[in-house]
Amino acid sequence: MAEEILRIEDLHVSVEGTPILNGMDLVIQRGEVHVIMGRNGAGKSTLASVIMGHPAYEITQGAIYYKGQALEELSVFQRARAGIFLSFQYPAVIPGVQVGTFLKKSVQSVRDEPLKGRAFRKELNEAMDALEMQKGVLSRYVNDGFSGGEKKRLEILQMLLLRPQLALLDETDSGLDIDALRIVAKGINQVAPSAGCLIITHYQRLLDHVSPDFVHVMIDGRIVKSGGPELALKLEDQGYDWLETSPEGNA
Amino acid sequence: MKYADMAVPSRAQHLWRYTPWARIHPTSVDQVPEAHPVQWKILEGGAFHSGAPRVLTDDDDIGRVFLSELGGSAQTFETSGEHAVVNIQATASGHVAVGHLHLVMKHNVTVLIHLAGEADWAGLHITGEVAANVQCAVGLVNELSSNSKLLHCENWSIGRDASLELASLSIGGFRCKSDVRTVFTAPGSNLIQAISVHGHQQRHIDHHIQIHHLVPHTDSSLHIHAACDDQSHSISTGLLTIAEKANHCDAGQLFKNLLLSEKARAEAIPELEVLADEVSAAHGAASAPVDRDQLHYLMSRGLASDEAIALLIEGFMQDGFSNLKQEALIHEMRTRLTVHLECELKR
Repeated sequence: MAEEILRIEDLHVSVEGTPILNGMDLVIQRGEVHVIMGRNGAGKSTLASVIMGHPAYEITQGAIYYKGQALEELSVFQRARAGIFLSFQYPAVIPGVQVGTFLKKSVQSVRDEPLKGRAFRKELNEAMDALEMQKGVLSRYVNDGFSGGEKKRLEILQMLLLRPQLALLDETDSGLDIDALRIVAKGINQVAPSAGCLIITHYQRLLDHVSPDFVHVMIDGRIVKSGGPELALKLEDQGYDWLETSPEGNA
Repeated sequence: MKYADMAVPSRAQHLWRYTPWARIHPTSVDQVPEAHPVQWKILEGGAFHSGAPRVLTDDDDIGRVFLSELGGSAQTFETSGEHAVVNIQATASGHVAVGHLHLVMKHNVTVLIHLAGEADWAGLHITGEVAANVQCAVGLVNELSSNSKLLHCENWSIGRDASLELASLSIGGFRCKSDVRTVFTAPGSNLIQAISVHGHQQRHIDHHIQIHHLVPHTDSSLHIHAACDDQSHSISTGLLTIAEKANHCDAGQLFKNLLLSEKARAEAIPELEVLADEVSAAHGAASAPVDRDQLHYLMSRGLASDEAIALLIEGFMQDGFSNLKQEALIHEMRTRLTVHLECELKR
């Protein structure tokens, strides 16, 4: 029987009084991969940020439930510890904090158990090998001086190590070359079977490597159309205008 | 000049604006109290020379003259070339404790100095000469008791084609005044200076850094990072001079303050005096609270707010050492900082 990971009901969200999400509904079951597409400013990243609990966003109406629990009851770090992971579109740069130290602290916090050094190193090495990452990254400062591709790989590395039950990927494919895209997709596919995945993207090309169960289109802060992978192909071919002018788009 | 003949410096002077002489003097300003010697011990890497000279530089500076007249202990360490790393322990105890250390750097070496002890007032004067073609590093960790006052002066001269890395980690003492001056005496030389300060409780930490490019083709880089919590106050003033004919110098100063409470204060005042035409000289200063995006990022990875802030403080202070190159120096500074923060931030 399918297990519900995420339920969003009639979600309205504002930033500094400006409405961004205007009645969003979505349900994600464990093992499902959902893709959200839409123009810039449609509210896609806002959705991911709100689920993760960014303090700048205010829920004015509706609710988000994670595994049946209202998310507003949980602070950001509690959401992470409960199994929610957001791969940031623009990950923060943290000078002075080495990647290795950061990963260890993060994994320790989320798993809530002491890490066994050798076992963790083995797991870390395997994950880095899978993502074709150089070990030298571990002694660099978090995202400091990283290229776009390096940042995205580090996000995926964190996702693999944190073993989320809900993975939110906010334009993780943006700015990646073909090889990097393939590697990042490999990471997503590794997590997807045991989690619910919500992928925000502008491009169909990621879906050549990751098979979505559902593709949703967001316009003006709500989902106006949902379908299968064929919807992404149609969007790639025809853009979004047809949704705004059709009754489905309600524009 | 004798201390008794010197006027108490005016607060109008850059050097004494934030920590007036009366606030750092151990008793009342007209007195030169009896001083205990700072105990020097080499834990690793050689031995002191006997009959150490008393090196007084900048004899118009009241701090140095005062330290000289207080007496205390004096040691000279000259590198032998046999040791890559030298560890020196300086222990200050009693009401007033004073020590002088002269370093003669003739070989590539890293000298690590740990200042500790329970003295009510500690005076430390380090002088050093870096010989031509030598690449060396000196790190000072101030781990004095939280009840101690510290007056700390340093004077360095760097010879031809030599390189000096100076690092300082300020985590001890409740009121500390540091005045570190470096002079380039020959071309081709290079100075990298890094200071990290942890202001907590009511610590008052004042760093004044002078770097004087008297000759051409000399480079310097100064980073000061001060993380200020509680009611602490950090002051960082710099004076970078490039003399009239000292062309082709490259000098930069960057002061950063991380403000962790509403009552914490920090001043960052770099100052340039550039008289040569063909030079590169830059300075920057920034003070800011904890970055909300960084905090959110760490919390989204499972770190509670206090854990995330602790990691950001550590990262900020570690980043103060990011311009250093010498591995042994970097390792020591980082290790001492991590240990300190693990104890301090878990209280």
